[in-house]
Amino acid sequence: MIPLLSKKKINPYQAALSEISPLAARHKKKKITRSNIELLVMVSLGIIFIAVFAYLPMFGLILAFKSGDGYLNIMDAIFKSQWAGFDNFAAFFEDPDFKDVILNTIGLNTLQLCINFPLPIIFAILLSELPWKRIRKVIQVITYFPYFLSWIIYGGIILALINSDGIVNTILINLGIVDEAVNFGEAQYFWATIIITSLLKGMGWGSIIYVAAIAGIDPQLYEAADMDGATRWHRIIHITVPSIAPTIVLFFILSVSGILNNGFDHIWTFQNQINLARSEVLDTFIYKYGVVNLQYSYTTAAGFFKSVVAIVLLGVGNFIAKKTTGNGVF
Amino acid sequence: MVVKKVYKKKQLMIGSSGRKQKKHIFDWINVIILLIFAGISVYPLFYVLAGSFSEGADYINGGIWLFPRVWSTENYQVVLNDARLWKAYGITILRTVVGTVTALIYTAVVAYAMSRPSLIGKPLIYRFFIFTMFFGGGLIPYFWVINLLGLFDNFMVYIIPGLFSVYNMLVFVNFFKTIPEEIHESAVMDGASEFKILFRIILPLSGPVVSTVALWIAVSHWNSFFDTMIYTSSENLWTLQYYLMKVINESSMPAAGVSLPYELLQKVAPETVSLAAIIISVIPIFVLYPLILKTLTKGVVIGSLKG
Repeated sequence: MIPLLSKKKINPYQAALSEISPLAARHKKKKITRSNIELLVMVSLGIIFIAVFAYLPMFGLILAFKSGDGYLNIMDAIFKSQWAGFDNFAAFFEDPDFKDVILNTIGLNTLQLCINFPLPIIFAILLSELPWKRIRKVIQVITYFPYFLSWIIYGGIILALINSDGIVNTILINLGIVDEAVNFGEAQYFWATIIITSLLKGMGWGSIIYVAAIAGIDPQLYEAADMDGATRWHRIIHITVPSIAPTIVLFFILSVSGILNNGFDHIWTFQNQINLARSEVLDTFIYKYGVVNLQYSYTTAAGFFKSVVAIVLLGVGNFIAKKTTGNGVF
Repeated sequence: MVVKKVYKKKQLMIGSSGRKQKKHIFDWINVIILLIFAGISVYPLFYVLAGSFSEGADYINGGIWLFPRVWSTENYQVVLNDARLWKAYGITILRTVVGTVTALIYTAVVAYAMSRPSLIGKPLIYRFFIFTMFFGGGLIPYFWVINLLGLFDNFMVYIIPGLFSVYNMLVFVNFFKTIPEEIHESAVMDGASEFKILFRIILPLSGPVVSTVALWIAVSHWNSFFDTMIYTSSENLWTLQYYLMKVINESSMPAAGVSLPYELLQKVAPETVSLAAIIISVIPIFVLYPLILKTLTKGVVIGSLKG
């Protein structure tokens, strides 16, 4: 097999972390040569970039421990404001609005994890079971397309389809499911809208990695199973699923760590004044209160909280996955 | 070159092996479910197409699902007369092209250095990079840095913050490492500098990974609107998506409408005009879709995490 496609190389994180491992440190002492200096110059581009765009903002996190709300200039908020200790964190835990924000953020993501995570896997398995190659290809080409459209576009169209005289309401009324047009812009429908639209736009493309993993399964396994008289269900459960399990675990851990990370574009497109109670998530909250209302410290604290939770979840998810399946990101 | 032959294409569009089997009732149910899903996910595009070619007054009455009842091209005339659309188009094309090319070069240079065994301090630098994949300062501190660098309301805010990404770097590094070391050694014997080796030898051998990463970057440039919304304030810097957001959300007639003849404006509605604007902005993605699909389905193995 060519090196690029070998299973070990599939995870850049693992490859990168293997560099850090003590084994990698067994190199001989490196001499300083012209080529070495050239390499250092090259890598310094990356170091400077990351220092400015990743570590400098981390320094900016001190805003979370200052009372910098209301300053016009973030610079002043950082350097001229008073220290506030953990007041900002205490403030948002007491804020009744913030409880809703956290509930929406975690609720939406948990739903996504339970529905939008497994469905692309099932979709990939169903695709691979299709005996008609041409139809399979047509379905792939069609369902991958919406992924490349922005949420502004795709969501904008969906909004036209679900408004009071749109096709969705027309169908529902004609089938007798509802008596009069449903206003899908109301808060109670927001979560369902997000889940369903993210499936429509992303399930096709989301399945591609599993399609690739299934394509890599040794056909002899299936042939042997057929000889033994395995049914299709048996083949799926005993060959397909175990073969793609490492891929599933890897993506599951990464999804868990993103539990406080709603796609801003997606939420923003469907959010309106009526559904705020169910549609305000951390990302939109931070944008509105921070950038628009200038509550710099308050929202930086909220963002800090989010980063910490994400990194803890990543560690926990990885630990559990390693204990139970032997596969982890690290 | 020898190396090029190694990277044979693998058909990933095909699912599991082409097993021979009798068609079963399951197959029929399966294909129906999948076709229905495919139909629903692509239907919105047909709807937009129909709406954009409909007469405004007729569209408002509703009931246009697949084909326009009263055919009209006036929506396109209005939209194409909107100077803001052309400006936004220009900005978007410019940021996509410049942003993609510069990001590829910048990232490849760093990745090349990181892929060399002789780089001094590599484990430390790796840690320095990877930590930032999992922890960051968040929106407000980032916004501060953008201001600090004078990037606010500056075209460069579309280019500079996107120059480098640790993830893309790792993808490049993984690929560079699969290139045989002998190639590097012989180039060094010929007295080539590291820069020269990267641009003359390594990059030309890295076609698949370069095109995959290039498309990831290009698509995200084309579709981004968040940076316009938060890091810019002047209309001169509107990108296509931001323009669309304005046109769709406000349901207002594009500004150029004022100078258009009355007969033309009578035949359009804000809704149908915005549908026409959507179609015009999707055309490039639609035209390039075969290329995008071909490149990225191959690239799925190159950087599985982006999938």
